[in-house]
Amino acid sequence: MPAVLTVDPRSGVPIYLQIVEQIKRSIALGILQAGEQLPTVKQLAIDLTVNPNTVARAYRDLEREQVIETSPGRGSFVPANGAAQSPKVAAEVAGDALDLALREAKSVGLSRERVRELFDAALARWFVVEER
Amino acid sequence: MSIITIANLRKNYGPIAAVDDLSLEIPSASVFGLLGPNGAGKTTAFKCMLGLAHAASGTVLYDGRPLVPATLERIAYVPERSVLYDWMTVGEHVEMNRRAFAAFSPARALELLEAFNVDPRRRVRTLSKGMRTAVTLALAFAQNAEIFVLDEPTSGLDPINQRHVLSLMINEAAKGNSVIFSSHQIGQVERAAEQIAVIDEGRLVLQGLVDDLKGDRKIVEGVFPTVAFELDGIAGDSRIVRVDRAERLVRLSVIAGADDIASRLSAAGATGVRVLDLNLEDIFLYAVSPATATADIVAKGSS
Repeated sequence: MPAVLTVDPRSGVPIYLQIVEQIKRSIALGILQAGEQLPTVKQLAIDLTVNPNTVARAYRDLEREQVIETSPGRGSFVPANGAAQSPKVAAEVAGDALDLALREAKSVGLSRERVRELFDAALARWFVVEER
Repeated sequence: MSIITIANLRKNYGPIAAVDDLSLEIPSASVFGLLGPNGAGKTTAFKCMLGLAHAASGTVLYDGRPLVPATLERIAYVPERSVLYDWMTVGEHVEMNRRAFAAFSPARALELLEAFNVDPRRRVRTLSKGMRTAVTLALAFAQNAEIFVLDEPTSGLDPINQRHVLSLMINEAAKGNSVIFSSHQIGQVERAAEQIAVIDEGRLVLQGLVDDLKGDRKIVEGVFPTVAFELDGIAGDSRIVRVDRAERLVRLSVIAGADDIASRLSAAGATGVRVLDLNLEDIFLYAVSPATATADIVAKGSS
């Protein structure tokens, strides 16, 4: 795997969650591909200068969510059906971000209609409608 | 599994309790960070663990057994102030350690000295404080120990060498060895340590996995329509350890259940409800100095 992971230990977000999110993102973007091997826990711990148990915890979470697979002697890797995995994980990553934005919109007291207007405006900005 | 078990440790200096009923489990194959303000008793705790200071009461067990001379062979200790001889060269210290510790590797020591950029031919007298620390660390990590007790191991080191020391610690943990270290630089502890303990005035005030503390301890903030708002039913929640009110704003310090408490705050009529993360420095300040921590959080929230 390319050295794409980085953690911000000063953040209030637990390091293992930062690793989980970044690996999901790497799969969503196809940086990590189906069947590709992940670094060993030990190697990633040394690369990121974080505790090996912290990396192991991230890998356990990813296994539980079936984002990665670990088999004894072979290490951890993106499952072979990872091609199907990629859009699913991409939707999950984006869904989490949308959820946060909507929560903030609700908390500052916006109405459902106003949020929809904002959403449509943002949608128009980011997704250009293809000409028919 | 614990490599070191400290139970009810107590050490007095005159009328002052330097270590006061301290109990800790140091996990094996991991890095453990000991935090505390100046004079909190970190160094005294280390000395009691190693038999360098005589505890008034309490026990320290290694793998369930009391400290014996053979145990010391397995421990590499880096004291707060390096104990090098001014008149000797660095290389002579390597030779001295080779004779003192059966498993000591002179080749590894020289390799580490080179990594720290210290010439072994130099006399200790001519070394800066940071270089002395580097020499002490190189000697410790060449000892092939299983347990590393490091008291402020990065003080005086430049950022490159600081990171190098953290890497050495992580490397030992990855090999299945155990590291316990103290540091004032919370960012280092935050990066390398899996578990921490905070002591203040000799007493344990907080311990846990760094990631769990960050996952659980949050600030929940909300704004009410008027100054006269009621928090009944919420403020009594045992997960809320502190309530700060300023005008229409309320900030709740919670040790668990932040999302649930945020929902309850919304249900009580608050808008702008949000959950703020705390980093280890925030959590540390809350543990040892709640007043300072609050000022800090308020400043952060309004920035």
